[in-house]
Amino acid sequence: MTSPRSLPMGLWWRRLWVMTAKELLQLSRDPVLLIIIAWFFTADIYIIGSGVSMELRNATLRVIDADHSAASRELIHRFRPPHFRLQGEIFAHQEGTRLLDAGESMLVLEIPAHFERDLQAGRSVDVQLQVDTSNTVLGTLATGYASRIVAGFSEDRVRRELGLTDQQLAAVPRIEERQRVWYNPNQTDPWFMAISELMTVVTMLSLMLPAAATVREKERGTIEQLMVSPLSPFQILFPKVIAMTLAILGGTAVAVFLILIPVFQIPIKGSLGLFFAITAVYVLATSGLGLFIATLSRNLGQVSMLVIVVLLPMLLLSGSWTPPEAMPEPLRAAMVISPLYYYIELGYGILLKGAGLDVLWDSLLGLAVLGSVIFSFGVWRFRRQLG
Amino acid sequence: MKLARVRTIACKEWREILRDRLFFTTAFVVPLLIMLVLGYGLSLDVENIPFAVVDHDRSALSRDYVHRFSDSRYFDFRGYATSERALDPLLADSRIRLALIIPAQFQERLLADRPVAVQALIDGIFPFRAQTTKGYLSAINGQLNRELLSDYLARTRGLTPERAAELISPVRLQQRYLYNQAIESDWSMASGLLTLVLMVSPAFLTALGVVREKESGSIYNIYASTVSRGEFILGKLTPYVGVSAFNILIVWWVATEAFGAPFKGDPLFFFLASLIYVICTAGIGLLVSILVRTQVAAVLVTMVITFIPAMLYSGLLVPLESMGPAARSEAYLFPPVYFLQIAWGSFLKGLGIDALWFQVAVLAGYAALLWTVGLFAFSKRPRR
Amino acid sequence: MGEAALVNEALAEPVLRVRGFCKRYRRRSAVEGVDLTCARGEIYGLIGPDGAGKSSLMKALAGVLAFEAGRIEVFGVNIDSERAAEKVKDRIGFMPQGLGLNLYPELTVEENVDFFAQLRQVPAPALAERKQRLLKITRLAAFRARPMKQLSGGMKQKLGLVCTLIHEPALLILDEPTTGVDPVSRRDFWAILTGLLRERGITALISTAYLDEASRFHRLSLLYQGRLLDQGTPEQILARTPGSLIEFEAMDAGRILSRLRETFAQVEGYGARMRVFVPGCEPAQAKIAVTRALDGQFKAPLRSAEPELEDAFIALLNERGLVADDTRLRLPTDPGPVSDHQGQAVIEARGLCRDFGDFRAVDQVSFRVRRGGIFGLLGANGAGKTTVIKLLTGILHPSDGSGRVADADMRGAGQTIKARIGYMSQAFSLYQDLSALENIRLYAGIYGLDRKTTAERTAWVIAMAGLGGFENTLAGQLPLGVRQRLALGCALVHRPRVLFLDEPTSGVDPIGRRRFWEILFHLSRRDGVTILLTTHYMSEAEHCDQLALMHAGRIVADASPQAMILALQAEAGQLLELEVERPLEALALLEHRFEGVGLFGRRIHLFASSPDAAEATIRTLMQGAGIRLTALRARTPAMEDVFVYRVLALERGQGAP
Repeated sequence: MTSPRSLPMGLWWRRLWVMTAKELLQLSRDPVLLIIIAWFFTADIYIIGSGVSMELRNATLRVIDADHSAASRELIHRFRPPHFRLQGEIFAHQEGTRLLDAGESMLVLEIPAHFERDLQAGRSVDVQLQVDTSNTVLGTLATGYASRIVAGFSEDRVRRELGLTDQQLAAVPRIEERQRVWYNPNQTDPWFMAISELMTVVTMLSLMLPAAATVREKERGTIEQLMVSPLSPFQILFPKVIAMTLAILGGTAVAVFLILIPVFQIPIKGSLGLFFAITAVYVLATSGLGLFIATLSRNLGQVSMLVIVVLLPMLLLSGSWTPPEAMPEPLRAAMVISPLYYYIELGYGILLKGAGLDVLWDSLLGLAVLGSVIFSFGVWRFRRQLG
Repeated sequence: MKLARVRTIACKEWREILRDRLFFTTAFVVPLLIMLVLGYGLSLDVENIPFAVVDHDRSALSRDYVHRFSDSRYFDFRGYATSERALDPLLADSRIRLALIIPAQFQERLLADRPVAVQALIDGIFPFRAQTTKGYLSAINGQLNRELLSDYLARTRGLTPERAAELISPVRLQQRYLYNQAIESDWSMASGLLTLVLMVSPAFLTALGVVREKESGSIYNIYASTVSRGEFILGKLTPYVGVSAFNILIVWWVATEAFGAPFKGDPLFFFLASLIYVICTAGIGLLVSILVRTQVAAVLVTMVITFIPAMLYSGLLVPLESMGPAARSEAYLFPPVYFLQIAWGSFLKGLGIDALWFQVAVLAGYAALLWTVGLFAFSKRPRR
Repeated sequence: MGEAALVNEALAEPVLRVRGFCKRYRRRSAVEGVDLTCARGEIYGLIGPDGAGKSSLMKALAGVLAFEAGRIEVFGVNIDSERAAEKVKDRIGFMPQGLGLNLYPELTVEENVDFFAQLRQVPAPALAERKQRLLKITRLAAFRARPMKQLSGGMKQKLGLVCTLIHEPALLILDEPTTGVDPVSRRDFWAILTGLLRERGITALISTAYLDEASRFHRLSLLYQGRLLDQGTPEQILARTPGSLIEFEAMDAGRILSRLRETFAQVEGYGARMRVFVPGCEPAQAKIAVTRALDGQFKAPLRSAEPELEDAFIALLNERGLVADDTRLRLPTDPGPVSDHQGQAVIEARGLCRDFGDFRAVDQVSFRVRRGGIFGLLGANGAGKTTVIKLLTGILHPSDGSGRVADADMRGAGQTIKARIGYMSQAFSLYQDLSALENIRLYAGIYGLDRKTTAERTAWVIAMAGLGGFENTLAGQLPLGVRQRLALGCALVHRPRVLFLDEPTSGVDPIGRRRFWEILFHLSRRDGVTILLTTHYMSEAEHCDQLALMHAGRIVADASPQAMILALQAEAGQLLELEVERPLEALALLEHRFEGVGLFGRRIHLFASSPDAAEATIRTLMQGAGIRLTALRARTPAMEDVFVYRVLALERGQGAP
């Protein structure tokens, strides 16, 4: 809406400031909302960060040892914590099936009779491992560890058999694998989970808070009071977004300085200033979607339902759990329109990888373009609804 | 207990659900969305890992070595980089997740029967993926090493290649994958997600349904009438349990059709068990609705008390075995643990009532407990 | 003394007995020590402004709210637990506060009724019969299949009544059933209700914030801030608060008003008509007192009139010292915008139309309001008043037509208009979680006042609204009357030339309303602010300089209140007021013989083209029925008579093919 006479810029800014201050004041008077924000930026991130670990630990294992020899015992005892927990020996195949069915054991290792004798005779022997793969992640991990244990056992036997010393080994052609894991050398799960959860929380609140602030004005009728004033729709909506962005940035700072760094010991590689700047851009972009939700809802209950409906696809298309390369082609294409995708790239890039704008400028550009499109859309919808 | 009154309340509720379009849509869309989003979005298959190579040797053998990776479905070759320095931005920008650095004299050393070190840089942002990548890497290198060794033995000890091959791997592990032979992670995820969906959606619907009436003030019609607490709760919740029962069928269908999960168990048993689970989670919603007064509070409280147990304490993502003893016993306090066993048991293991009766009994116990507490906590003459 | 005897006899076994009732919410006390007894067949009123504790008491009586102290007996059952309450609930019909809030918006009229009936296990044949009868009486039968959310306010309220009555309760508890409802619907509602109650011998406990409805009750309790002020029959209460009402006409209303206020606490001006309540005096003494107060500045005949309950209520509050000292307003002087275009139209609507889909909410509306005028828009719920205000303030765009507001064209200069107008909506839309001061400063900022002006205007608003001491209280915690004046202050902070008020006084107590009107007068007369407002209080409508009556989106009459009253007299004849012993029976007899027959409290109003002939007819009719006629006199119609007569005529015209 253009004004017939050009407004002095000072007045424009003053209105923006007055409205923003109002939003912040209102937020500070809403204990329920403050508790929610505090919960999500501290306890929630802590619970998810420390709770979700996909390491395989203590996988339950039963053994059917038909040989009971020194060799079979040696193999069995290589299945040790932390990955495996040996529950003991059973004697019948059916018993194994029953335990697997009931979920009481995850693996059953079966060593055939004459295991040791065959080994000594230089014959290769098959040992059988039954794996419960109803949880495929665990199944795959367990199988992987088990093959490594068996391979290690084999290799040790071969060396002993062939009498290869370490010196001699240096004269065998082989690939020596030097693995280096970057960014998270010890593969600490909380680093990934806590940052990922922080970004999810930021997303959820950027959808929720501006939408709630807008719908609350609709519910209480104050929106009419603002509409008869000389404020433009942009001047009504943007202060909400600024105020909520400040609140979310505050929450993010709390999460970073009270949870991520001290509790999870995440080494911040890049520039925190840049991270907060990018978070601000991201919140602005996402709040456009929040405003769109506000135009569809009549009350806060509807807002919260719609937030869930919008949030879930955003999470799907974010690439936080499933990176783009593991996505089916159509979804991979759709990720381009998910602001969270860019944010995750930027977030991990800055926090853990120490990347700067020289590397991440393309993601930032994507986020900025997408953000302005979404935000303009939100304001446009709102203006149309009010007009 | 007058059934006619229960029916009256149930019919009214059902009409309201039908006519509130937004509510109606979300009642069916949210479960579907959770299924699809998490089913596809939580794909934990690690495949097509994008990688780049710095080849300082540029020999026939080094190219063969790279081919071992680029030919695997687990890896996706993105090209050669000129130097280690060039890898940094590629990893930082997530364009590759793995880099191999092949030293100069790779071919020369191998042909001279000497070990050669190959450097692998792995993106460790998501530890689970890094772990899996390491596993694949070791498997390929291990295979190559065995070939090199048997070849070496054949040459130096004059064995036949077959004998040499047999000699270097005396013990072979035969894996038998039970219940999900093809290791389709979608199958596990989809059938397991029923636990989450059927926990979250009935609780949400119920909590919102009751709180809505509290917020609008129409709850006073109930307070002021002679309808008993039991009649009201039963009548009010029946439509939501009904919607959820229908949702059981929808998500079941999605799991088998969209994600291709097999269903090996007894359909009738599974449906009834799910129904008990749904009644139980609707009871959670009932309790929430008695505690809070606004829809927003209902949504947030329900979200916190359903999502977290169903995601973290059910065994769906985090293996129960991996938890500490305290956390593990905590997990057994929440209903989702038991339903996940029923879901995987019915879908993948083909189990029935004889194996799963205990889990069903626990859920039924929970349902009875929650509804009884709800019945007593609900007051027709509140303090405010 | 038929009815009184009935009441006395029934007192032996009261339907309701309340002793020392107390209710607190957390630390806040809502009701403190109320006693009350209600006999069978009685219509008992609970009267008091918002926050008086009416709702808490009624909920407790209906057995849906636990309370802290005191004893409640309903039908002889001590309501001290949920179990005890259950015993009487089948005999109670309870309708909570809020227009249609307890109904189900998505369900149709019929489905709503059926639901309530089945909830109460009304057998199917009885349900069919009652539904038929009640929907017919309430004229909702034609809307059976319409979803409740599409009904107008008056219809929602009648549907609520049908739903509450469907199980034929012996005791009816209705919490503010008429708040926010237009006079015609209100009158309709009362007619239906009193008819049904009499027919079925139902006892009813009804609360209201409209004091003019008080005379419809057999007995009533006046509540104020959780305490009982007085109780008894309306006559008893009036008798216990002696005083006289003096009326006269004056041209220089503003000056005379302020002069009278120096002496008297209860002074009101309705346009040129002055109204002074002199407590504790006979009419003759009162006239002398008023003459003395006027100090010879004014010579005109003074009339004495009968005080209304509202006068008594305010006198009671004054007597008990419950009114803040600053009720007698010392309005700060405000130079206000000076304009030399006196007499020019400040608001002008030309053929405004607004469609919502197929529905035309506003149809060809045209009118002009002069600078400094107070313009009232009247009309039933859903007549289109609020939409007109929304069009003029720019919240909605007109589908057709044009207009000028505050010297700017509505279409082209939206932003200019917005800077020159103030607006206050039905809900007093303040930010409840901001303090009074923060609210004022927010609007000052929005309108871009500089620091100095902001300080000046803030001080002005605080003085005007009597906010002293409340500056840092959250708006949500202010008493309703103060909140309303704060909302007005916020709408005035930028010195608008035009002020739009949408039902600015609904739910506010009489003192608050009077005070509010004084401020409006001051603004219009001294500062030349043009005011456009809507109201459901017809007594307030008489304060306006000019009125427009809306019906179904159109303006059907546009004149000054006096002109409207004269036009009505010319058209319908003389208004006669009857005082009779059994008003309801008398009403039924008269309805078929005269035009515009209606119950006003215990008095009956009717129109007659030849008063003498009418008087004879009435006397014969009453004699025939054995009803004693205690008084019969000619009266000047009030705005309410005008409104009811006009709207009913229009509704009849619409109903005809």
